[in-house]
Amino acid sequence: MKKALKRAVSLCAALVCLASAMITASASEPYYSYSYDNWDDAIPAQAGYKVEDTYTGHDIGLDKLRDPLDPLYVGINASVELNGPKDLFFESTKQEFWIADTKNSRILRLNKDLQLIGCYTGVYGAPSGTYNFNEPQGVFVVNSDDGKLYMYVGDTQNSRVVQCEVTSATECECALEVTKPDSPIYTYNTFLPEKILVDIAGNIYAVCTSVNSGSAQFNNLGEFQGFYGANRVELTGEIIRRRIWRVFASDEQLKSITSAAPVEYKNFDIDAEGFIYTVTEAANASTDAVKKLNAAGYNIWNNDAGNEYTFADSGANTYDASTNTTYTTRLTDIDIDDYGFINILDYVTGRVFVYDEFCELITIFGTSNTNSDQKGSFTGPNALECAFGNVYIIDGIKNDITVYSTTLYGEYLKQAVQLYDEGKYVEAKPLWQEVLDRNGTCTFAQMGLGKACLSEGEYKDAMEYFKDAYSRKNYDKAFKYYREQWLQDNFIWLFILIALLLVLFVVLSVLKKKGIIKKRVRKQKKQVERKKTKKELEHEAQLAAEAAEEAAKEAAENAASQETNETDEKGEDKNV
Amino acid sequence: MYEFTTMGWLRHAIFHPIEGFEDLRWKKQGSLKVAFGIVVLLFIALVARRQLTGFAFNGSYTKIFNVVPLLVNSVVYFFTWVIANWSVCTLLDGEGRLKQICINSAYSLVPFIVGTFLATLISNVMVLDEAIWVNAVYYLGIGWSVILMFQAMKAVHQYTVPKTIFSILLTLIVMLLILFLAILLLSLFQQVYVFIYSIYTEISYRIRG
Repeated sequence: MKKALKRAVSLCAALVCLASAMITASASEPYYSYSYDNWDDAIPAQAGYKVEDTYTGHDIGLDKLRDPLDPLYVGINASVELNGPKDLFFESTKQEFWIADTKNSRILRLNKDLQLIGCYTGVYGAPSGTYNFNEPQGVFVVNSDDGKLYMYVGDTQNSRVVQCEVTSATECECALEVTKPDSPIYTYNTFLPEKILVDIAGNIYAVCTSVNSGSAQFNNLGEFQGFYGANRVELTGEIIRRRIWRVFASDEQLKSITSAAPVEYKNFDIDAEGFIYTVTEAANASTDAVKKLNAAGYNIWNNDAGNEYTFADSGANTYDASTNTTYTTRLTDIDIDDYGFINILDYVTGRVFVYDEFCELITIFGTSNTNSDQKGSFTGPNALECAFGNVYIIDGIKNDITVYSTTLYGEYLKQAVQLYDEGKYVEAKPLWQEVLDRNGTCTFAQMGLGKACLSEGEYKDAMEYFKDAYSRKNYDKAFKYYREQWLQDNFIWLFILIALLLVLFVVLSVLKKKGIIKKRVRKQKKQVERKKTKKELEHEAQLAAEAAEEAAKEAAENAASQETNETDEKGEDKNV
Repeated sequence: MYEFTTMGWLRHAIFHPIEGFEDLRWKKQGSLKVAFGIVVLLFIALVARRQLTGFAFNGSYTKIFNVVPLLVNSVVYFFTWVIANWSVCTLLDGEGRLKQICINSAYSLVPFIVGTFLATLISNVMVLDEAIWVNAVYYLGIGWSVILMFQAMKAVHQYTVPKTIFSILLTLIVMLLILFLAILLLSLFQQVYVFIYSIYTEISYRIRG
């Protein structure tokens, strides 16, 4: 009996376990996807991306490095795990991924399926004689027109940037080595290049640790050109206070005032047109958090409109109700994808914010693993890359690569936004409709449909859409056309109405003049009746009393005179 | 001299900024009922401005409609003004009584109310390029009301111009004081309430054992 009970209980328990396992299996993304509306309020939204898979060192085939039979064999002690990788780069012509496996001091080369095809632990023929990389934090790869594959490595602890010509799967030759600039402009004690970027002309840009004048810029011969695109100083109360104090301070006091330094930008990316986008990692940076720099290093968003652009989570310290914590944002990496969309990675929250080229928010995805340590959550997201419509995020603490792929909703959304940004509003209409069917609160879709209606001349519908999108300017535009159209359509009726009124007026005035119609006599205003105040009453009473008195007097006088008269009359009568 | 109906007197006061309120005073005219009506209309005007202004002109946060700030903006401010003015001008040899101050203040608000309603109305048929007309109507109402308010205070207390300005400035300060004290009192009473409530819960727990 007891055994049977036990069995029944354990069966139940097993069933419950199974059921719960099934429930978790059917769970959606490890985070609540959301978006921001026009008031910067977070509102729930459909997920634009979903977790495809994660790749650890084992998954990408790092075991090959220990296999003596494999051409990629490095050594029996070679690490088969990623260790604190800092950078991920996608080379689009060869479709290969490159990883700066920082703590292992090596560069890994993966094919498009994220399988290992190359590993570089150092560079031959460097002028400084150093072969091994030492904690490289940045990698950039250029497949040049002459068929040579150049790898640029930000070899941080060796204080150098090396341009290596990749010769085989494990070897590379040094083509150029850039060390600490000798120039008097470079006033910093250290040269620790972190992130590397190369433009079409072969200029090398290096973001260096604790250099806040911008990135160090070198030409294709490795000569120092100066600093590129420094951030501005964020205007805080402290800065204003100092500026005022500076006016009154004595020379000696002036010396003790530390000058305000801007925060350095942490990472950058270059788009197809050669514009360089930077992100600033400093907590809650609001000034120059994200910049789009032209060749001269000026922020082309630095205008009235650009300064209104907001990135990542709005609000200085954002409160997360689900974990009861307050967090700051730290934007650590930026990537411009094939659509020209801007993908920004927030280190603290593990969120990726996708913006279109006009900095309109498209979608937000990803999470830190404070909520749930599962696929798609991050502990130390260091870099992201976009390729094949996927987003690849490398985690420097979990030591893996997470692949996020676009959902159907995201696909519609991205295609629609792309058409929208090209000004093809009408072509984007069916796509927007699909988006709206999946996410009714998508303001971007409302805007898109509104603009489509506007260009099709359906002003009334456009007004409705713009109202839902809460775009006052566009609503106003639609309303202007609508009003014009309405006036044109109803012009005849309006004209007739005004003409009739005029005729009526003229006829009436003529008739009045001739006296056929009598002029309307204004009614006599009613006499006001109001309560009399006490004083007035008293006064009136007094007046009345006086009047009565006088009347009495008069009456008495009259009576007296009448008496005489009467007697006279009587006398007269008698006389008569 | 003049004999008008109640509304006639209102019109007379509004359209004769120089003499209107003096006449109102000497003729002992003005109705408290009308004054309260005007205050209610003021509140309605603020609500209308927030809710019914044309979409392109309406920058308010339309997701939530909270009537309390509007109520404070109209009714509470009005009566604070009246009380503050009365308390200041009683000390400054003003001749106005509370009732007269209330009536005169309310009467002088009418242009603002009308202006607000009109601006709200025409903002529904205007585009942003023509915003100047909407603004003109609105600010005309405000300006007119300010002038009337000044004249009303001058007439009701029989002040000279400098003294009127002084008394109005003082009134604004006293308004701040009153509101500050009111908030203080409110929070104090709230604490008293919390205190009593916690005692009540404590005792009720004890009784239940």
